[in-house]
Amino acid sequence: MSRQSNRATDSKKMNSELFTLTYGALVTQLCKDYENDEEVNKQLDKMGYNIGVRLIEDFLARSSVGRCHDFRETADVIAKIAFKMYLGITPSVTNWSPAGDEFSLILESNPLVDFVELPDNHSNLVYSNLLCGVLRGALEMVQMAVDVRFTQDTLRGDNVTEIRMKFIKRIEENLPAGDE
Amino acid sequence: MTVHNLYIFDRNGTCLHYSEWNRKKQAGISKEEEFKLMYGMLFSIRSFVSKMSPLDMKDGFLSFQTSRYKLHYYETPTGIRLVMNTDLSVPNCRETLQQIYSTLYVDLIVKNPLCVLGESLQSELFNSKLDSFIRALPFFSVRAA
Amino acid sequence: MAIFSVYVVNKAGGLIYQYDNYVPRAEVEKTFSFPLDLVLKIHDEKVVVSFGQRDGIRVGHAVLSINGVDVNGKFTAEGKEIQEYLRDPANYPVSIRFGRQKLSSNEKLMLASMFHSLFAIGSQLSPEVGSSGIEMLETDMFKLHCFQTLTGIKFIVLADPRQSGIDALLRKIYEIYSDFALKNPFYSLEMPIRCELFDQNLKSALEIAEKAGTFGPGS
Repeated sequence: MSRQSNRATDSKKMNSELFTLTYGALVTQLCKDYENDEEVNKQLDKMGYNIGVRLIEDFLARSSVGRCHDFRETADVIAKIAFKMYLGITPSVTNWSPAGDEFSLILESNPLVDFVELPDNHSNLVYSNLLCGVLRGALEMVQMAVDVRFTQDTLRGDNVTEIRMKFIKRIEENLPAGDE
Repeated sequence: MTVHNLYIFDRNGTCLHYSEWNRKKQAGISKEEEFKLMYGMLFSIRSFVSKMSPLDMKDGFLSFQTSRYKLHYYETPTGIRLVMNTDLSVPNCRETLQQIYSTLYVDLIVKNPLCVLGESLQSELFNSKLDSFIRALPFFSVRAA
Repeated sequence: MAIFSVYVVNKAGGLIYQYDNYVPRAEVEKTFSFPLDLVLKIHDEKVVVSFGQRDGIRVGHAVLSINGVDVNGKFTAEGKEIQEYLRDPANYPVSIRFGRQKLSSNEKLMLASMFHSLFAIGSQLSPEVGSSGIEMLETDMFKLHCFQTLTGIKFIVLADPRQSGIDALLRKIYEIYSDFALKNPFYSLEMPIRCELFDQNLKSALEIAEKAGTFGPGS
């Protein structure tokens, strides 16, 4: 298939600064459109979610990853394959909870914030909150409900950026439509 | 060798796409009823095989055949289900279905922001690409009716 | 190479005979400390793993025993709810045995009638004229072969996907059925088959098929 042979190359031929700037423009526009940071965070999460529910299909089509049966496996796939594929970074997976249902992704660098300085009047803005939505949306499509939030952010003076992911439950298969 | 028809369902059982090539017999019910019946059957087969299996399965249900046709099944972890009916001489079609998913569905539907997910597909481009993809398959040949 | 089981279903979809020839064992026992790092759920009155798999414990496995004592559905031997029991840190460390739950005879009855309807739907949805129902159903772990006689009796064999010679075996089972069930004057039609000779002959047919299938030509 000609399309298939092209895709490996065309997915890499894009200037990442354009991407970073586009994201920056998006966030600042949201900041103008909405009164408070909380609302902007919510919008970013919503947008991310809508990206996630589509991106997961692309991910499954391009990687030959099957269904995960363990949250540790999920963590590995997200860090080593998904982040690598879409952001070019490989976060480390740490801070497992004893029950194995919570972990942290530590991002040494975050391509979204390359040129960003957070102004003082946006202290509650979670600049990269889009990522949380993407993860949440993507996992929801593979029957996993998760809670995703930033717990550390280099933009706020932390040493690293930390995304905390908590497994909530498996979403059970829906019954066929019209099956009363 | 030939391909009879193809169904694509989403996780909720909505039939996203249906097309047929060499179909000799209709089910004798409306298309909507047929989609429901097909999805219901797949749903039951999945639960049937998971109970019946003496061992833990990886991919689960792959195909079944009757005296006249063979049904090939492929399911993604997101619950997209592709079903293709062919005649009996066609070998395992898993890769073909996987290709339809990854090169046609994902590229032309999922990445097209104007296509609403979870509704039946309205993309002309998808329909025509799918048609030429199927017609180009090595085991697609139109038999004289 | 193996033949897992044989089912005989009458024309009304009732299971009249079932035999498990080879049941692979898939059980794991492991000692856990609190908290349990597996997600469990209740499914069909049993406690099964819904998420989290390692050390041979797989999603879908049921809790079979706790600290060496077999459980009773979703209750421990003492009658406590298993999930409740495992939520209490005082009960740890705990040793739990997981495995695939064996089918109860009720479940087998239900599965047989389920296949009976799937068979019919498979024929109705055929894109070709004059199709039978499902004759062979393939998964990555087993193949189900079904032979329906003109009188509507279904003989179903579950076997390893690589096992050959099943079509011949199904005909053979039909023969055995007519010889040792039908011809037995005390056997009433459509009713469960309880005949010694039928059992014996079926077992030896399976043995022969398993042996021949390994070397013989494809079915």
